[in-house]
Amino acid sequence: MKKTLLAGVSATFILSMAATAAHAQSIDYGAMEQLFNEPVTTSATGSPQRSTEVPVAMEIISADDIKRSGAVDLPTILSRVAGLDVLNWGAGASDVSVRGYDQAMSPRLLVLINGRQVYLDHYGYTAWATLPVQLSEIRQIEVVKGPNSALFGFNAVGGVVNIITQNPKFDSAGSINLTGGTNGYGELSVVKSVKLGDRFFARLSAGAAQMDEYGRAGSTVLASQVTDPARVSANLDTITQLTEKTELRVEGSWSNVQVSEAVSNYSYSPSKYVTTSVKATLASDTKLGLLQASAYETNLTAKQLVASQQARFENKLDVVSVQDLFKIGAQHTFRIGGEYRKNEVNTAPLAGGQLSYEVVSVSGMWNWAISDKLAVTAAGRYDDLSLSREGTFPAGYPAVTNAYWDRSIKKASYNFGAVYRPTQADTFKLTAARGVQVPTLVDLGAVQLRATAGPYTVGVIGNPTLAPSIVTNYEIGYERPLPGLDAKAGVSVFRQKTEDVKGQPTSGQIDVMPTAPGVLPLLSYRNIGDSKMWGVELTASGKIEGGFHWSGDWTFTDVDDEAAAGFSPQVRLAAFSATTPETRANVSFGWANAQWAADGFFHYTGDHKAYLSTGALVSVEDYVTLGGRVARTFDHGITLAVSGQNLTDGHQRQTAGLEVERRAFVTLSKAW
Amino acid sequence: MSKRNTRGVVALCALALAAAPLSVAHADAAKDVQVAGRALTFLENGPTGKAVLGVVFDPSKPASVAEKNAVMAAIGGGMSAGAVTLTAKPVEASAVPGVSGVAALYVTTGVNVGAAAKAKKIITIGSDTSCATSGACVMSVSADPKVEIVVNRAAAAAVGAVFKAAFRMMIREV
Repeated sequence: MKKTLLAGVSATFILSMAATAAHAQSIDYGAMEQLFNEPVTTSATGSPQRSTEVPVAMEIISADDIKRSGAVDLPTILSRVAGLDVLNWGAGASDVSVRGYDQAMSPRLLVLINGRQVYLDHYGYTAWATLPVQLSEIRQIEVVKGPNSALFGFNAVGGVVNIITQNPKFDSAGSINLTGGTNGYGELSVVKSVKLGDRFFARLSAGAAQMDEYGRAGSTVLASQVTDPARVSANLDTITQLTEKTELRVEGSWSNVQVSEAVSNYSYSPSKYVTTSVKATLASDTKLGLLQASAYETNLTAKQLVASQQARFENKLDVVSVQDLFKIGAQHTFRIGGEYRKNEVNTAPLAGGQLSYEVVSVSGMWNWAISDKLAVTAAGRYDDLSLSREGTFPAGYPAVTNAYWDRSIKKASYNFGAVYRPTQADTFKLTAARGVQVPTLVDLGAVQLRATAGPYTVGVIGNPTLAPSIVTNYEIGYERPLPGLDAKAGVSVFRQKTEDVKGQPTSGQIDVMPTAPGVLPLLSYRNIGDSKMWGVELTASGKIEGGFHWSGDWTFTDVDDEAAAGFSPQVRLAAFSATTPETRANVSFGWANAQWAADGFFHYTGDHKAYLSTGALVSVEDYVTLGGRVARTFDHGITLAVSGQNLTDGHQRQTAGLEVERRAFVTLSKAW
Repeated sequence: MSKRNTRGVVALCALALAAAPLSVAHADAAKDVQVAGRALTFLENGPTGKAVLGVVFDPSKPASVAEKNAVMAAIGGGMSAGAVTLTAKPVEASAVPGVSGVAALYVTTGVNVGAAAKAKKIITIGSDTSCATSGACVMSVSADPKVEIVVNRAAAAAVGAVFKAAFRMMIREV
């Protein structure tokens, strides 16, 4: 595999070096943002675009928003984005989803740092504490709502979170942050960028945090299922200017964390993760367009408690991709790309097997600026996945061979968007998208365990015949600035359908009856039917003279599960119509002058049901959280801030697990 | 909340939004020049450091003179715009064929010096969109209510101006 990676990188390097009369390369987000007076992004189509002109539903969280949030983790920041749902399992573990369908180890959200996936590919979820990024080095967080598989591939079905860090070539960064707080919270982070001459730029960041876990009072969580969260991470980001027009960006990261989290059957696990990644990206602006080739490898060790058994997954992912972005004439922008990825993981808790798949993908995008009022974008992607398995099977499992896993999944996805601006004030967006949520390696067979269900012993194994979940989404949105109020507002209506929803293995339903004496009955993942959702989102934000700003949003979703014959969404831990709150809303106020800044954030989540580890659903009453920050900036870049989360209650039930506790922090920062 | 109520709320909000007052945007010379200066930095081999902007006006047109005065006042002793610090000097339209020492010409509304500027291979920037769409200017810029940049590809080619690829994908070209 390493030879393949090297060969790919070398070939593209030679291709790029051979290109002549190149012009420019990476995007200077800061300069673009200052020019257009709004954030810019490449997360909608792969092409640089202004945030107000992207043909998707997107919100961008700025570095200033992050700083003023007073938050110490990404899920807290994301919980304040319109339409996002967050399940807080503990002080260091959460699951995030877009417009419902949140669940333990939520697999519907694609999370990236600078385009490199950081969700854990063996099971398709994001352990947020493992992300090797310090909040102070983030330039912006781009949140795409709805499927965007045509650009990003599998998993981008509910939405995409792309975290863009400061670029060491364009952004001079330097800061140190020391935070202490209640519940034994302590954190130290350092970010520093350096420039060596005119051709080498680097940014190094590192951080560590530890905290006490929330108390178990009022929950069924056992002491053996929790641990005090802690995380350590480091990241190196370098850019080498190879020629005037070609640059090589190399990023490396490492993280080591432990958290108390809910695994997919809603049992708690004192989990430990170690991640490493190395990525190289070669970018050049040539007469053929903006050429980019990248290759990266991520490695994960995940130790979890699964059905009271220690599971250790070793997951390795290699990705090589190339793309060309070019404009033809005045009105047409194109992107063509190809990607190869190999993903492999061992079976666990029962070892002996190794699952892997290879995916070859081609993709394309066409943006047509028909007039100054109307632009349409069409993007498509085709993925060809080949699954395989090696190794042995546990005793008591049916007599199948590894050939049963020789399977191919071929799926197409698309994104279509039209942006219509009949006046300088009015913007209409119409989007249609089809995303593919491919089964994960764990779903397909990496999980192997033997468990007791009442008086019986059953086996659990992944299902290689599991079909991908297909998510189609249609949305119409309208936005309008209100200059008289120095504000803007928007409304959007969306409708979504998920076909072939994945249901979890459960002792409430045997999937494979014993075929012979001594063979275990088996539980597995199954496609249990469809689910439909429609919803509405209202957003508004503005500024008031004197340094004040405000924002508010309200999102309604109505989820309707349509089970296939013989399946119960509730039994299969996929009763999304019950577990998705109908409403969630945010209101924030802030004020700042040259020295002081004060911000407050109210968040409301409507009542909904939540799973216990037994598979039973219990009610969670609606709740309001309050977070805030007050900060004073002094000379020499020193800032002292007091912030808090969940300030309305000492203990608050947000899930069926640990109750979320009030937390307060004091942060001393120095920027240079 | 019932679905019927939800639909009602949505319809009400949409109506309220559509009916909300929209104050009339007006040109702001300082903002427009800011955009112009920053846009120049996205030229291949574009200006960095100090750059002189020639402000082209027609002394026989009061509106042109007023705009020139506004631009000169906005730039004052120097305006920082991204990687450049702009200074300005007034240039009568008739003097464009002999102008020198300028990074670009900022053409006030109602003035056409396209041919002369092309002959001098100087980039022209107007605050009026029609200046670019007609080919009289290489680029038009406006900051309110939303930053709008239009580049005339033919006019740009005529003066040898090449904008960076990413920039071209984010603006309107004609």
